[in-house]
Amino acid sequence: MAGWQELSEALDDYTVSCNSNERLRKMQRDWTRVLHFICSDTGQPFTMDVDHGEIVATVEGHVGVPDIVVTTTSETFCDMFWGDLNPVQRYLRGEIVVKGSQEDVMRLDAISYVIWPES
Amino acid sequence: MGTATATATSAGLAFAAIDYLGVVSILAYAPGATAALAIFIGGIFVVLIAAIFSELNGLFPTAAGIRLYLGRAIGNRTALAVTFTYMTTVILVIAADAFLIGAAVRHVLNEPAALAYVWIVVLLALALGANLRGVRIAGWVQTVVTYTVLMGTSILSVLALFHVGGSFRRPLDLFGGGTFSGIQAIAFALFLYAAFEWVTTTAEEARTPKVITRALFIAPVLIWIVSTVFALALSHLVRYSTLHSSAYPQLLLGRAALGTVGELWMLALTVLTALNTFNGGFLVASRFIYAAARENNLPRQFARLNMNAVPWLAVTTLAGVSAIVAAIVFATGQWLLLVSVGAAIECGIYAIGSLCLLRLRSRVDRKRPFKLFAGVPLAGIGAVLFSVLFVATAFADPKDSRRFSVAPFAVIAVLGAVSTLYVLLIVPRLQRAAEQRASAARPRRRPARS
Repeated sequence: MAGWQELSEALDDYTVSCNSNERLRKMQRDWTRVLHFICSDTGQPFTMDVDHGEIVATVEGHVGVPDIVVTTTSETFCDMFWGDLNPVQRYLRGEIVVKGSQEDVMRLDAISYVIWPES
Repeated sequence: MGTATATATSAGLAFAAIDYLGVVSILAYAPGATAALAIFIGGIFVVLIAAIFSELNGLFPTAAGIRLYLGRAIGNRTALAVTFTYMTTVILVIAADAFLIGAAVRHVLNEPAALAYVWIVVLLALALGANLRGVRIAGWVQTVVTYTVLMGTSILSVLALFHVGGSFRRPLDLFGGGTFSGIQAIAFALFLYAAFEWVTTTAEEARTPKVITRALFIAPVLIWIVSTVFALALSHLVRYSTLHSSAYPQLLLGRAALGTVGELWMLALTVLTALNTFNGGFLVASRFIYAAARENNLPRQFARLNMNAVPWLAVTTLAGVSAIVAAIVFATGQWLLLVSVGAAIECGIYAIGSLCLLRLRSRVDRKRPFKLFAGVPLAGIGAVLFSVLFVATAFADPKDSRRFSVAPFAVIAVLGAVSTLYVLLIVPRLQRAAEQRASAARPRRRPARS
């Protein structure tokens, strides 16, 4: 199980990778969403605020009304934000559960795919 | 997403332009008002399907649900082969709708027959362009379109039946003209409801799993009402000998009922159905292709995204294959064959869905938001029943009940064989190549715990 410290480090790296990727920023230019995450093993909640493709905040706890809610284990979240796993494979196995539109589910995976095409 | 939107999504996915032709195939086996009986019996079977998919959706409320429950029930490779075959029905429906709308527009504009294909290409090009630009029809527009198509078809049919046809004066006349002949009529009736279960792919958008369950039970009722009045009006006002050689029976009914106004009315509704088919069909199929490519079950090129975050190769391939299928239909005039193939594949999927429920009752011990009463015996009955209907439709001639045809089965066998060979021979290679790429590309990034 990963604690908030580990998750926070993974999120920081993910934020830098996303925000510094010009292609991704252009692709997600019309994507403004509030994402809520829930660690199914530790119960740890956290929020990600995306504004026109830019991750502007990642905070502990749930803030605002979510457009997307993602639930999985803390270890899977860490691996996902470090780019060490393919989110679609876990999603299709039912290990990552997403509540949101199909379009948003794909956009979320597209972020990992654009940053780490070999993951 | 609430119940009204989910119901509209379910009914909109099921009620495409090809359903008007589906009614003609029912009339081949159940003339006159007996078609209504076939649609009613088909509707009862659909209630069983709705219950089965409600339970499966409750177990796996995700767009990937079909892969999950198929995989757990019959194994991952078989699930993949079945899903690939299932997805071909989406291409068939897109191609069929492009063809039917092109033929209808050409007919109303009184243009030469060859121009129908130009309309088909224009329609597919418009759908391709809109999808590549990431244009999405808003949920409320889709809801309005679906209810407009259903209401518009019902109103014209009722006018045709009672105002023009005078059926309220001689209702028993409706039951003349032939006898109910064969289970094929029921299988073709099932085709009218086909794809209503695809609403389960929007499970992640629903407020609760109950929303999807309600939609699965309400949408078939709407389709039953619309199809029944349409079939009755069609058989009452238009001769079957005219219908079976026509790609636009709904226009013939419109003209018979209200002249040019009726014809334009039905043309407008036919074009509206394209919004749902092209929007929903392209979206479902292209995202499935994207996920399959990301999962390394299809070449990774299919996951490539354009600057609108659209899997452009998947969408373009879909449009291209649909155009080729529509060209084949256009050249051969075998549009009713698509009805048979679609009906048979759907019956096959319903049989497999029943089998999944049977197996998952013992294999998955999880809370079920919806549980089918007497699920094991009913799913057993469903597996046998829909298998019989699959065989009946796969060998039926869709326009002549006196003839036997192997063409639908041959098409399905080729699709199934190609899918199976692909899964057995190509997928393992793609998976190996992906593993090698991933291990060679870079080491694990996540820091080790100290």
